[in-house]
Amino acid sequence: MSDRAERLLGWYVVGLLAFLALPIVVVFPAAFAPDPTLNFPPRGLSLRWFKNVVDQPQFLRAFYVSLYVAVVSTALALVAGTLAAFALVRHRFPGRQLLELLFVAPLVFPAIVYGVAMLMVLNPMRLQRTILGLCLAHVVITVPYVLRTVSATLHGVSPTFEESAAILGANRWRTFWHVTLPLIRPGLIAGATFSLIISFDEFTVSLFLTGPGLMTLPLEIYNYTEFTIDPTIAAISTVLIALSVAIIVAIERFLGFEKHFQL
Amino acid sequence: MRRWRLGILGLLAPAGLLLGVLFVYPLLNMASLSVRSKFPGAFTYTGEHYAKFVTEPYFLQVTQTTFTLAIVVTILTIVLGYPVAYYFVRGHSRRKHLIFLCIISPLLVSIVVRTIGWTIVLGNEGLVNNFLRALGATREPWPLMNNFWSVTVGLVHVLLPFMILSIASVLGKIDPALEESAAVLGANPAWTFWRVTLPLSVQGIAAGSILVFCLTIGAYITPWWLGRGKVLLFSTTIYDQMLAIIDWPFGSAAAMMLVAATLVVATVYFTLLGRVGPR
Repeated sequence: MSDRAERLLGWYVVGLLAFLALPIVVVFPAAFAPDPTLNFPPRGLSLRWFKNVVDQPQFLRAFYVSLYVAVVSTALALVAGTLAAFALVRHRFPGRQLLELLFVAPLVFPAIVYGVAMLMVLNPMRLQRTILGLCLAHVVITVPYVLRTVSATLHGVSPTFEESAAILGANRWRTFWHVTLPLIRPGLIAGATFSLIISFDEFTVSLFLTGPGLMTLPLEIYNYTEFTIDPTIAAISTVLIALSVAIIVAIERFLGFEKHFQL
Repeated sequence: MRRWRLGILGLLAPAGLLLGVLFVYPLLNMASLSVRSKFPGAFTYTGEHYAKFVTEPYFLQVTQTTFTLAIVVTILTIVLGYPVAYYFVRGHSRRKHLIFLCIISPLLVSIVVRTIGWTIVLGNEGLVNNFLRALGATREPWPLMNNFWSVTVGLVHVLLPFMILSIASVLGKIDPALEESAAVLGANPAWTFWRVTLPLSVQGIAAGSILVFCLTIGAYITPWWLGRGKVLLFSTTIYDQMLAIIDWPFGSAAAMMLVAATLVVATVYFTLLGRVGPR
């Protein structure tokens, strides 16, 4: 690239990043606006919408449901995904590629179709609108993320470490616990982070599995907007963005983004 | 040897069971429901739901809108995202780290939050309309929301990071020496890009396109929020059939059609790419 071309391209990139940031940045001023319509720029400063969020207990309840589902499904996905990644990366066996395809299929599978399919299985079992049903569906959605991040890390770890441990007399379990696991820790953390966020943010599949009495936070926000669109949702969004930023900063500090977040 | 096999099986069992019981089985169950005359209750096997889907103009219209949207979104993400990926891989900026962070951060912000953000930007009292009014360009607000293009903007925003990451990961594997050789042999930069870099990065574009395409036709929240009943898609139709009309067999058939259509498109796309890819 010539210098001039690169400078032009640089400006383009800045513009595009601004586009990516735009809908996120506008949420903050809208949340502090005093008027009951979602407008921009705001005509004053007020905290009433934040108070409105706190005054409505359903939001906090939905937040706990989302958090619970995210933590449980991530824990299950971590175990299942890590073990599977280990088999797929370290071993050669017939049907390996087919299994690899199956394990990452939920990543590109139309979410709306998966939601429908799960509804029809869980409903007759009386598991629709239960937290168990939600967790089960979310594990399937989050396993591919864990599998991919852990596989990527595992590819970068030479099997010689594990072989050395074995030669030195460690059994397979000790090797895994004391050698492999510490080596793939960054992949595990990245996978867990992705999984937590994907589950917490999941909308389409949960749409079919929730209902009165059991709501995740994204769905509770969606329900709220069926009746009113006011800055309350911008206020919740501000809180959620603050959470995201905290997570991003934490990962950046402790892991470094680029190394571990290749999708 | 036998013990090894058992070990591998043990490693694969949890994920295999999870996906078998909670992914493959529900899809097979859906396939079987789609050919039943009714559910629940006694039934006969029938193809009427599929016939209804392909003959009624409403569903053809929905299919057409969905695929137009998916194609437009895919093309836009390629065109908008490729230069960013290229700059990220080949540029000499010292702020690459920051750029990467900016690309990936939106992925970590809730989709519901981002659609709310677009409402604030595009709404009647929003950023764009207030800006136009301040300029005196318009008095009545422009109806920027609830149409095909607001849905497109929202989806492009959601899916652009996926495309950029897909292209960048392949671009990063191309040896810069190949481009330098082309330049040494007398090709100008544009020609080098066209004949060397672009063909070598086709795999990245392909992977990104499939991802974006599939995620677009499966998307529900963004089209629903930014289209508000004005943009009828495959996903909104399936939702209506399942939860409003509660016609499970027909909803299943529609969902099966969506899966089939996705598979056909993916196959055709990869076949075509096989012809234009690196030889």
